[in-house]
Amino acid sequence: MSVLLLLIPISALLMAVAAAAFVWAVNHGQFDELDRHGFDIFDDSVGEERR
Amino acid sequence: MALSTISVGDMHCASCVRKIERALADAPGLASVHVNPARRLVVVEHGAEVDPVALLQRIEDAGFHPTLSRIDTGNTRQRDLLKRLGVAGLGMMQVMMLALPLYAGVFYGIDEGSRRLLEYASLLFTLPVVLYSSVPFFTSARSAVGDFLRGRGGLNMDVPIALAIGAAFLVSLANTLRGQGEVYYDSVTMFTFLLLTARFVDDRLKARFEDANWTLASLPAEALVLAADGSIRPTALDAVPTGSRVWVEQGNQVPLDGEVSRGDATLDESALTGESVWVKRREGEPVFAGTMNHGPGFEMITTATVGATRMAGIADLAARAQADKPAVAKLADRIAARFVPAVLVLAAVSWLGWQLVDPSQAFLAALTVLVVSCPCALSLATPAAITAAMTRLRQSGIVLTRSDTLEQLEGIDAAIVDKTGTLTVHDPVLERVEWLVDGVDRDALAHAAAALERHSNHPLARAFRRAWPDAAPDEIDDVCIVPGAGVEGRWRGRRLRIGHAAFCGAAGDDERAVHLAVDGVPTARFRIADPLRPDTAAAIEGLRDAGLRVIMVSGDAPERCAALAEQLGIEYAARQAPETKLEVLRQLQRDGSKVLVLGDGINDVPVLAAADVSAAVLESSDLVKANCDVLLLSRRLGALVELVHLGRRARRVIRQNLGWALAYNLTAMPLAALGFVPPWLAAIGMAGSSILVMSNAARLLAADRRPAAGASAPDVLALPAASRS
Repeated sequence: MSVLLLLIPISALLMAVAAAAFVWAVNHGQFDELDRHGFDIFDDSVGEERR
Repeated sequence: MALSTISVGDMHCASCVRKIERALADAPGLASVHVNPARRLVVVEHGAEVDPVALLQRIEDAGFHPTLSRIDTGNTRQRDLLKRLGVAGLGMMQVMMLALPLYAGVFYGIDEGSRRLLEYASLLFTLPVVLYSSVPFFTSARSAVGDFLRGRGGLNMDVPIALAIGAAFLVSLANTLRGQGEVYYDSVTMFTFLLLTARFVDDRLKARFEDANWTLASLPAEALVLAADGSIRPTALDAVPTGSRVWVEQGNQVPLDGEVSRGDATLDESALTGESVWVKRREGEPVFAGTMNHGPGFEMITTATVGATRMAGIADLAARAQADKPAVAKLADRIAARFVPAVLVLAAVSWLGWQLVDPSQAFLAALTVLVVSCPCALSLATPAAITAAMTRLRQSGIVLTRSDTLEQLEGIDAAIVDKTGTLTVHDPVLERVEWLVDGVDRDALAHAAAALERHSNHPLARAFRRAWPDAAPDEIDDVCIVPGAGVEGRWRGRRLRIGHAAFCGAAGDDERAVHLAVDGVPTARFRIADPLRPDTAAAIEGLRDAGLRVIMVSGDAPERCAALAEQLGIEYAARQAPETKLEVLRQLQRDGSKVLVLGDGINDVPVLAAADVSAAVLESSDLVKANCDVLLLSRRLGALVELVHLGRRARRVIRQNLGWALAYNLTAMPLAALGFVPPWLAAIGMAGSSILVMSNAARLLAADRRPAAGASAPDVLALPAASRS
């Protein structure tokens, strides 16, 4: 069972990484608008500045 | 009286509402305070001398974070909740993984060292959940308890939640450190996760009700003001004074109310009227903030500042209704306020009871009672449905100015509508002029008549406006409007009267004609055509299908009304003056009908005031608008059909919601106290119940699937105009 002594810290580390990634995504607005972007293909002005 | 809308992001329950109401109760100069928890808004009607910032201060002192705005800052709140939810989810998954061997250990045996290691690991993963994710519950509960102890408010739902999470965690912590006894880390993380999920979903649905494409929120921040030298200078909207020359580019929104001063405007006024047909506005014609310019750029002269536009006025009226609480919602609030203490007592009682029967079950049973109860469903049941219904109506160009209206709509079984301008087209057309006297300057008199009619907002007056657009209203002095009869005024020293035959002393009762009398002598007869609106027949059909008697009231002669009434299959009352119109309404009400009245002129004010539900169109005078329950932004009679249907659907949803919330709580709590409900089911039950109520309300947002007569289907996709080359 001594493998737990290794696995538990690893899972803690992974959880910390996952939480940090999630918080980053939320802070960058990834979840602000989940419905509208499906319709963006109909809007010619989206991404126009890239052309 | 001024209206201030204050958004309070951290208000979410009945006792917060009372706290805010109490905070504002002794503020000087307030006419009314409406708090709407579903939209997290406080709408205050106050004297002009009151500084809204002082009101913000009072709300802040009560422990909230208010902002003065029309637009809610929902995004930061939702982001914050989502982060806490994410951390709770991750923590819960870890704790569950560790709970599995712990449970297995109970049945198959586990050595002491491994068990304690697993318990400490669970503690490690629970810490971020308790210390970060569940903080909103604790802060809210703490302020509620503080206020309760100081005798200034009731307990809110976060009190039992915080108690359950806190107690379960502390007992687990103590048992972990002691090395013996049960641990409940799995329950702690799961409660937090599920309850946060419910709160997050609630919040998202509320935000969906809120944004409701209020174009006001999306008005451009700046207007392009034309300076004297012809240069264009972008200026912040609130710094644009009345009378400024403003340039409106193609594809831009009109920033303020005004008049076209150069060029033609091709506008999509659907934001105001709900009608998506583009309209043309020529020089001198009014344009309104929030409408979209689809034609080439034009120049306008502003006639209102940013707070005084028509759009702002509608927003204020709507905000009042949104924040206004109908009686049934107030009842629900009172129930919810008593509910939390009852939950706490029941939890304590079940703990004591189980101590006598089986002490090992006591803690879990008390915990379950705390978690399973759901007053949220109770207190959200009505406001959520009302907000959803109002949002839906607003998308169809119907603004409720009082929230009680939805309840009133329930029993409506008769509708009184005007003939002219309502059943028939809004813009009557002048057919011909018959001169009764020879030797007069016909052209000058016709202009004078048109100028006089400029002072009237009777629908027929529009025919004159169209026929003689250059008539100057200031040629007339001493104007006197006689409701139901006509207008009188002095023109070049002569008394002019225009209106009904009797008012002008003319013979004949052809009511289709408008008469002109000069110094008491009938001089001319203006014949006006008044064709039926294209959607009238369908709308009348729809109202009849909804079980409404439709009564057409008109000042016209009986023969004219009879033909039209027969064609439409409705009842009518002919030759009505304002007073007799009121009598028609009273008679209906004496017969036990609840009556909806659609009016538009000043002379309709008494009838509107006496009606069970009164509706007015946007073009009505301000007095009429202030007195109506429903404002129709377009002259679509079909809007009434939608209104009646939605009112009924809303009532149905409210009943379902209240019924569910009551049934759920009355069943779940006794079962939990008796120990039949495992903690995980309790958490799912509470979260699910709350979400169910909100989702049921959200059904009202969807378009009525019944083919409502005369109603235009809302655009599914608002595509940008193909204006780019």
